[in-house]
Amino acid sequence: MSLLDVRGVTKRFGSLVALNDVEFSVVEHEVLAIIGPNGAGKSTLFNVIAGLEPPTDGDVVFRGRPITGLPPHAVCRLGIAKTFQIPQLFPRLSVAENVLVAALYGHGASLADARRQSQEWLAFVGLAGKASVSAETLSVAERRRADLARVLATGAPVILLDENMAGLNQTEVETAVALLRRVRERGRTLVVTEHIMRAILGLADRVVVLNYGEKIAEGRPADVMRDAAVVKAYLGEAHG
Amino acid sequence: MGARPTGAEWLALAALAALLLLPLAVGAYPIRVATVIFMWAALAGAWNLMAGYAGSVDLGPVVHYGVGAFATAALMLKAGLPFLPSAALAGVVAMAIAYALGTPTLRLRGAYFAIGTLALAESAKQLALAWDRLVPWFPLTGGSAGVSLPLAAGYGVFYYVMLALMAGVTGGALWLRRSKFGYGLRAVGENDRLAEASGVDIHGLRRRLYVASAFVIAVTGGTAGYWLSYINATESFSASITFQMVVMALLGGLGTPFGPVLGAAFLTLVSEVLGTRLVYYYLIVIGVIIVAVSLFAPAGLAGLFRLGPRRVQGAT
Repeated sequence: MSLLDVRGVTKRFGSLVALNDVEFSVVEHEVLAIIGPNGAGKSTLFNVIAGLEPPTDGDVVFRGRPITGLPPHAVCRLGIAKTFQIPQLFPRLSVAENVLVAALYGHGASLADARRQSQEWLAFVGLAGKASVSAETLSVAERRRADLARVLATGAPVILLDENMAGLNQTEVETAVALLRRVRERGRTLVVTEHIMRAILGLADRVVVLNYGEKIAEGRPADVMRDAAVVKAYLGEAHG
Repeated sequence: MGARPTGAEWLALAALAALLLLPLAVGAYPIRVATVIFMWAALAGAWNLMAGYAGSVDLGPVVHYGVGAFATAALMLKAGLPFLPSAALAGVVAMAIAYALGTPTLRLRGAYFAIGTLALAESAKQLALAWDRLVPWFPLTGGSAGVSLPLAAGYGVFYYVMLALMAGVTGGALWLRRSKFGYGLRAVGENDRLAEASGVDIHGLRRRLYVASAFVIAVTGGTAGYWLSYINATESFSASITFQMVVMALLGGLGTPFGPVLGAAFLTLVSEVLGTRLVYYYLIVIGVIIVAVSLFAPAGLAGLFRLGPRRVQGAT
């Protein structure tokens, strides 16, 4: 049974159609990758699912219940949490407090529980040593891990990761893939957008390909990579 | 939850105990100056909660002050209630009005919220001035002539009410630093979009704080009105009250629990001293002091004394 359904979602910004009748489902405990060239509509899609932007048309359904139009905090509390493409932080709170806020408000933990959970999630992503420093001092790679700890701390079963590996070097990408595998082992369902193909092949169960706001392919990663339309979308006419 | 009081908090508690006993030891003039300081500390402190913790720069807090003043006067004069219940009820009236006003305006972000609330305050002043003409069957404000209140017996009540308001606001700010509500507010103040995506009901949280601060400001306004025994709409809704709150909070240290108290004490005392020595120039001197503090101590006086630094290292 699907956990999350995106049904005929269309998003227009004036005359620009960012998403056109996009439709797919996410099954519990899977890793679904959304790929596509820059401007394909991946981030817009995530914003629509997370309640940050209302869709022009269509519905987002979570556990059989339409959540379209709910404010972002309600979507998060229901169980869908997202990271941001440019990792966001509460800059003047400590790293632990950044995660603490998500634990407090994401699933209504008490202060004592939230403190414990935030330490656990920081240890999980390998940032235990940075718990008490101000969040604005973190490097890009550390920010991405702090952002991951934050969404995990909300307790949301569905995690949307918007290019969580962008800007990481090769070693950091490998660490990140291993980390996300462990997230999945913890029973979370992951929807990720990513440009790094190696990461997708190593992580995703299924892939949905967007191009100019439309779904052009869906399937197992290896199959999708061979799909003519996908190759054309990424590499252009001559290679098609 | 690590609620051990810090050094600054022990100091504040000791100061509070001393202030409770102060009227036994000194005469009328120091008590009057202290009451003025408490009043501004309560007002600036209430403004600091919104601006310093939730990141919402409200340029119309004087609305609550005016509502509190006129509601207190109406309850005392029309309903014949004693002062304290009147002021408390006026605070509740201001909370209801703040709830209604805050629901749309708190959705405005950044500068738009500041401009919106500033415009709101000016509208409220005009409405108060015109009230008795618009609603002749229920006069409240006395138009431009204002309203006279009964004279109070003694000044002790003002001293203690203003002290309680200042202590309440400061205690509230301290509580915010280690409570769930406070963490949510600081998250909203730092990055509201991220807070929202982390499960924080940003509009709900801001509104709760706005309504709570309206209560404090309204009770302060009601108390100040009774103290002066005369209020009028032009002064009770004057933007200069708002700006004095803002200047004191910034001078003392935005987002710090004791900053508004320091700012209020400093500015009030400087005005008292300079106002008698340099009758004509003291405002210029105060202007220079404000500019100097903002240039050389951008974190405010609390930053200079390291009282309650905003950046908490290793708070969890």
